[in-house]
Amino acid sequence: MAEVVLEMKNITKEFPGVKALNNVNIDLRKGEVLGIVGENGAGKSTLMKVLSGTYSHDQYTGEIWVDGKKQQFNSVADGRNAGICMIYQEVSVMFDSSVAENVFVNNLPGKGLFVDYPKLYGDTQVLLDRVGLAVNPKTIVRKLNAGQLQLMSIVRGIAANPHILVFDEPSTALTDSEVDLLMDFLDRLRKDGVSCIYISHKLEEIYRICDRVTVIRDGQTIATRDAEDWNEADLIENMIGRKVENMYTKTPREFGEPVLEVEDLVVPHPTIKNRNIVDYTSFKLRKGEILGIGGLVGAGRSETLEAIFGKTTEGVSKKVKIHGKEVTINTPQDAIKAGIGFATEERKLTGFVDTMDIMYNISLASLDDIPGKLFVDTKAETEEVVKHFERLRVKAPSLHQMVVNLSGGNQQKVILAKWLMKNPDILFIDEPTKGIDVGTKSEFYKILDELANEGVSIVMVSSDMPELISVSDRVIVMCEGKITGELDKGELTQANVMRLAITK
Amino acid sequence: MENKKGFSVKSLMKVKELGAVIPLILISVIATVVNPAFVSQANLIEILRTTSYTVMLGVPLTFLLASGRMDLSIGDNTALGGIIAAMAAVNLGLPLPIAIIVAIAVGMLVGFLNSLMVEWLALPGFIATLAMSNIVNGTNSVITNNTAISGISAGFKAIAQTRLFGVVPIPVLYAVVVAVVGHVIMSRTKFGRKVLAVGGNAEAANLAGINVKKLHMIMFMTVGAFAAISGILYCSRFSSAQLSAGAGTSLTILSSAIIGGTSMRGGTGTVFGTVLGCLLFAVISDALVVMGVSTNWQNVVYGLILVAALIIDYLRQKSTQRA
Repeated sequence: MAEVVLEMKNITKEFPGVKALNNVNIDLRKGEVLGIVGENGAGKSTLMKVLSGTYSHDQYTGEIWVDGKKQQFNSVADGRNAGICMIYQEVSVMFDSSVAENVFVNNLPGKGLFVDYPKLYGDTQVLLDRVGLAVNPKTIVRKLNAGQLQLMSIVRGIAANPHILVFDEPSTALTDSEVDLLMDFLDRLRKDGVSCIYISHKLEEIYRICDRVTVIRDGQTIATRDAEDWNEADLIENMIGRKVENMYTKTPREFGEPVLEVEDLVVPHPTIKNRNIVDYTSFKLRKGEILGIGGLVGAGRSETLEAIFGKTTEGVSKKVKIHGKEVTINTPQDAIKAGIGFATEERKLTGFVDTMDIMYNISLASLDDIPGKLFVDTKAETEEVVKHFERLRVKAPSLHQMVVNLSGGNQQKVILAKWLMKNPDILFIDEPTKGIDVGTKSEFYKILDELANEGVSIVMVSSDMPELISVSDRVIVMCEGKITGELDKGELTQANVMRLAITK
Repeated sequence: MENKKGFSVKSLMKVKELGAVIPLILISVIATVVNPAFVSQANLIEILRTTSYTVMLGVPLTFLLASGRMDLSIGDNTALGGIIAAMAAVNLGLPLPIAIIVAIAVGMLVGFLNSLMVEWLALPGFIATLAMSNIVNGTNSVITNNTAISGISAGFKAIAQTRLFGVVPIPVLYAVVVAVVGHVIMSRTKFGRKVLAVGGNAEAANLAGINVKKLHMIMFMTVGAFAAISGILYCSRFSSAQLSAGAGTSLTILSSAIIGGTSMRGGTGTVFGTVLGCLLFAVISDALVVMGVSTNWQNVVYGLILVAALIIDYLRQKSTQRA
């Protein structure tokens, strides 16, 4: 057995009223990738905050041993000095500086006041090559796409030459080919003797790269096994603590007349001149149907929904028919009036109002439907809100909890409840289960299925391949702004979707 | 670590109006000890009168702040309101109600221009309304040639100089009405709910079907209207329209709202807190006089309060994030 480079022993961390971590034990060996999986709120992030030094050593009990030495971190800098580097899910960067400046911001080369730019760019290039990220070190970061940004934060992480690297959901914004890059890179790190902790909801990646996998649930380590000794059902069962018979719910149903017809939708590219991110796209959505839109990041899927909904209007041209009648949608108000609801991908940015509680967020889109001309009839409001709050089983102590403090899955439930209260004919939903744990995902699929059976027509954009092919009744695949194909129930396989996603 | 004490401080921070209440009590006590005349009836009424003028503007400004915008042109817009009303009534000889309507319309026009700059041209609100403040200030000088306009009618004077039961200046009544109506709108109506949603997350509110630009425009124009009304009151009270009426009040009123518990970042607003904030400023300026402190210190104190208010706002923000 390879030597142990990191050991966390009996880590217990309490918040007022909650034991976030309860005697957690993990060990990391030299040159391995250790996967850590668990539902949202299982304690993974807290554990990593303990490891990184975000919580100083007097804020928890238990011991951390690095390379056989007991460590007591007072700050993130202490953790970094011990050779531990964290790469977080949310990327914090200086958008108007170059890639090189971002990578070496803590340690710019040069003498005295001056930066040695040739060396800076050279050193950065070496690191970029190591990860396989094909951008120029001089590129201004604002011009990078989400995937490149995420890879850049990895480059920044390895700049300090750590021997323990922690990846927290590093692939959320990556396309499949970028995920390949990341996997290759991890493999090379492993061969160089660097030890990595890999936290992810994506079991496919866990299986692909991890040597061993630790499951954490309710703040406790449940089990650690070699990756090949975990079968998927077993792993999921351990994560959620109960058996999942069926991840996906799908009842057979009939589809009605087309409720939404989009013709020749054109959306100009936000940053590149004379290019369209959505390029003359047309499709139909039938009543009671779940239409999936597949494709790679940047194919124009979200932009399609946003343009139909009236969220983006600049340079957009389109013809939209609802129930066979042409409608003009210039603003989200127009879209809502036409019977469309839209749960966006960026929940915190565009999905909920963080200064408001659950109740106010759920009733937000339906304020004008609540009885009362000027005043809010709070009794009627509460009644209606509770109905949807309970149907979606939002886990919160009360309706007056702030949405910010909920887990990602429950935030998404609040957003969905908001649209259900509005009772739309058509529901757009962009990456419905992004960053949501397995148990809650399964609940969402059941709800989407129910809604479709009730006659709601759904357009779902999803990068989660199993989700896309299992939840959708029909899938259209986009590539570079164009629809490259349509797959009916019988043809829905991951391979078919992927083939169309890269068809030019 | 979360100890008992940290916990109670945190829960105290949640009482939005606290930032105004504590200094209010402290200063009142000190002023009374130094000079008992502070609590004389005449002095208390004077404090109420001063408060009523700022409340008239502070309440609509609270809505604007809650919706995520601010307006630094209110002080000069106030002076403009008095000037327009006086010019219309005295120089043009228009009937009083018409003069008032014209003045309010001009105030709303300034608000509309503010919203045009901030909403449609997407200029930063802080600088754009500061620029508007300069424009209005200059306009005031141009149209009056830097002289006060006097000679307003007895009816005009009665607007602010009437005293209820011969004691309480009538602007106090106006302010109470504005505050009560404002409070009800903010806390009970659909419109108030939309204001708070837009201030909390404009894009989420927009996607939920709220017309964000229109709402901001309404708020800017309402603030403009109340600036004009406030100017008319000053004009009536001093029997003449003066360029200095309302001058420099923009920041004071902004500070009143913030120290009262309305956030600079939008999404929260308390009319009651703003009234307390306005009262606090009136008490401070009065206390300084009563205690014999040179009025030169007034601006220093005002500035310090604004800094304190911003710090409280920041701490409050931090404490609610991890609630």
